[in-house]
Amino acid sequence: MDVLGFQPMWYVPAIGSATVIAVIATIHVMASHTSVGASILLAYLATKAYRENIPQLYDYIKKYLLTLLVFSYVSGSISGPGIWFSATVANPRGISALIHNFVWVWAAEWIWFVAEVTLVYILFYTLGRIDQKSWLKLAWIFAIGSWATMYIIVGILSFMLSPGHEKWFTTGNILDAFYNKNYFPHLLMRSAYMFAIAGTIGIVIASLMRKDIPEKVYKDIVRTMSYWGIGGLVFGTMFFGWYFSTLPERSLVMLAGIVPTWYYGLIFGILLILLAHFVLTSIKPTAARAYIALPIYALIFFMGVYPEEKIRETIRKPYVAGEFVWVNQIIARDVPAKDIKSEVDIINEKGYLQVNAFVPEGLKTITPENKIMAGKAIAILQCSGCHNVTGASGLRPFAKKFEGMDSEDMVYGFLSNYLTPQAHPPYMPYFVGKDEELRALSAYIADMISKGGRVSAKIEVPKATLEAHK
Amino acid sequence: MSMVAYQNLTRWVLLGVLALMLLGGRLAFAGQSPAEVGAMLKAMADPAGAPFYPVVMQILQVITWALHIVFVWTSIGGLFYAIYGFTRKDPNHQRLAKAMLELSKVSVSLAIVLGVAPLLFYQVIYDSLWYASANLSASWYMMFIVFLLIGYYLIWGAYFTKNRPQLATFFSIGGVIFLLAVGFLIHVVNYQALYPEKWVEWYTSGGTTMNHTGWNIYAFNIFRYLAFLVFPSISVTGVFMMLYAWYFGKRPEFERDYVNFSAKLGAKLALMGGAGWIVFHVLYIFSVPADWNAKGSIFAWLSVLGLLLCAGVIFIAQKNPIGMAIPSLVAGTVATLLIAVFREYLRVSSTARFGYSIYEYKVNLEWLSPMLFVGTTLTGLILYAYTWWMAYRAGRTPKGEVYQANETEDALGNASVFIVTLWAVVFIGTGLIIIARNYL
Repeated sequence: MDVLGFQPMWYVPAIGSATVIAVIATIHVMASHTSVGASILLAYLATKAYRENIPQLYDYIKKYLLTLLVFSYVSGSISGPGIWFSATVANPRGISALIHNFVWVWAAEWIWFVAEVTLVYILFYTLGRIDQKSWLKLAWIFAIGSWATMYIIVGILSFMLSPGHEKWFTTGNILDAFYNKNYFPHLLMRSAYMFAIAGTIGIVIASLMRKDIPEKVYKDIVRTMSYWGIGGLVFGTMFFGWYFSTLPERSLVMLAGIVPTWYYGLIFGILLILLAHFVLTSIKPTAARAYIALPIYALIFFMGVYPEEKIRETIRKPYVAGEFVWVNQIIARDVPAKDIKSEVDIINEKGYLQVNAFVPEGLKTITPENKIMAGKAIAILQCSGCHNVTGASGLRPFAKKFEGMDSEDMVYGFLSNYLTPQAHPPYMPYFVGKDEELRALSAYIADMISKGGRVSAKIEVPKATLEAHK
Repeated sequence: MSMVAYQNLTRWVLLGVLALMLLGGRLAFAGQSPAEVGAMLKAMADPAGAPFYPVVMQILQVITWALHIVFVWTSIGGLFYAIYGFTRKDPNHQRLAKAMLELSKVSVSLAIVLGVAPLLFYQVIYDSLWYASANLSASWYMMFIVFLLIGYYLIWGAYFTKNRPQLATFFSIGGVIFLLAVGFLIHVVNYQALYPEKWVEWYTSGGTTMNHTGWNIYAFNIFRYLAFLVFPSISVTGVFMMLYAWYFGKRPEFERDYVNFSAKLGAKLALMGGAGWIVFHVLYIFSVPADWNAKGSIFAWLSVLGLLLCAGVIFIAQKNPIGMAIPSLVAGTVATLLIAVFREYLRVSSTARFGYSIYEYKVNLEWLSPMLFVGTTLTGLILYAYTWWMAYRAGRTPKGEVYQANETEDALGNASVFIVTLWAVVFIGTGLIIIARNYL
């Protein structure tokens, strides 16, 4: 048996496995940015409480810590592995490429995770039980340690988009891959925006405690949150611009061409809403209301982070990792430093269905009986990373892309001109496999369109083929 | 019950055990040849290779798994007891139930964060096992995350309603059901991973389809589940009760009567849970397919020996559970480590059947990132020492009092703040140098 390292495929009809990752990633970014931002804000407030002797500030800090524990740390610590788990099943070879390159870097991040999670509990339980100076030290260790998790993950995210420097492919030097051109703007952008996210929750908590703390302290807290928030938005937007300017050429083409304009509208919309809210609460802290700030926090999820995650996902295409693993899991180019070989030639020679161990024997050789099912298998294996291949809704659906093409020749004519190494669009891999496999894919698509554009995702090896194999 | 009824019951139990043992691994599908499975395993290893010697990854995986699983056990065991304790009228039970709920709540956090590391090291050397098995049950694998989230929030629900025992019991029951389901799913994924010869057969339902929905579960071994998750949860939580009495017993607001009650109950639970643990661990060893040679392996019997040693210490501890809390902890740690080693033996022997060895994994040796890890670990150890020590001190301080750090603690605190700042400076500084070199 001559097989390549493909894993069993997970197909999520309509929404696609990529959306599963995006939703979990958005939850994680919300939770993690809230907690990292808050760790620094709280260390700052604790310093103020200690220096200016304002014990009531500790009450606020304690409430904020509890909020972090209940919301950020639960959802953040679960959605973190959640991204990993979803990438494992949606894109196993992509996440594997990252892990094999960065396992030690992730392990270093883990040291900070452990510090962060244990410290948030320790800070909560020891507040008022150890002397203020020691508590302050713990708070700053917590703040810098939390931030360190961001220092590390941003490097890996940068690599995911691109190794940055062409020389990584020949040297394999981890530093070249990690400290990408967009590392610092990316880090600074996230670091700035996290204060706006944490500040919004800070205002929610303060407004809920308003009656329990003296008015002056209350105003002080709300103003602090607002000023940090405004600063975060202004600097974040500057770094956002800088970040864009450091993106690879391919990504810029996609940003201009295929990222929907309304995504930008959402992002700039939420930035304006946040800015307006912070300006209001800084001028008139008593106007802060939980029922206003909390929905704004929720809006950050839908208007800010989710579009941002989708954009990041889009501009990475056609790759999922390091500009050598395609979104369809095929290794698209050599990486001499790691002795990684492109799989394109071997798949073209042997056939895509042949080299995947998880394709049933009865579909590996294409016959008139199994042609449509073999085509469906190819669609699911090669195309479903970005497309709904069995319907007309959801993720870039086939039924819409191929509307009206109900004959095999028509689809084949289109695909054989479109998905070639020369003509393929920058965001899509070209087709890899035997010509008869492209024909089978075309037959499947034409069949699906002729059936109204919606078919079952089930794959059935025809009885005749099964019999022949026996 | 009459003698005949007993005999019948015993017969049915034994038959059930036999059936489960057959399901547990003896029945193999006819499928690919061993050579084909071996070729597939090798092909499925990431072409980038391991960035360091696989044996180092393996050792780290064993150690970090042991750390992780202890908190998995206390999160489930804490809830088991909380459910029982909340239903008792006795104030000691009520009070201990709250404490164990607290243990469970914190343990879930620690189990999650500690669990990241063994997975990381595991999938660098056993990637085919990890990815293929997870993808076979992909949708359930995602439900793992959903169940964990629900389970954890139910535990918080119990925590916030701890002064209303009925409600807290309700939430705790929900919490433990979800945590057990989470444990079930990870058990399935880890267990399926051990049978690479069945993956293709499973996924294609014998060559007839592709099960890409991810809603299938292909293998389960009740002995393994009980031995690795359920019984240790009871036993280890018992040891934690002994430690709880040892640690908090020094505080004036903890009455002698309550402290002794907790310690005694803990020792009893540790012994009872431990008995079940040993029985099912041995049954699991017997259910491992013969060609893995588990029954003849020194690692299998060392793990049993570890459990027996632990049981011995806990047996002695029944008379003086507070005094024996630390020795019980040490014995439990040894047993857990030996079980972690045994689990690793299973992976090695399962893949060895197909000529696959992690020690032959392609290595792309690289020194810079391991240096980052070692540097960060050293930094972390200083921080951990300081922060956990302060937590320890604070916990022992009587309610209403403030613990004043001594000079040494002050110095360690300053060193910690300094070293964490230094780490950040070095990390950022290195980045600036690299960027300047590559792009300016």
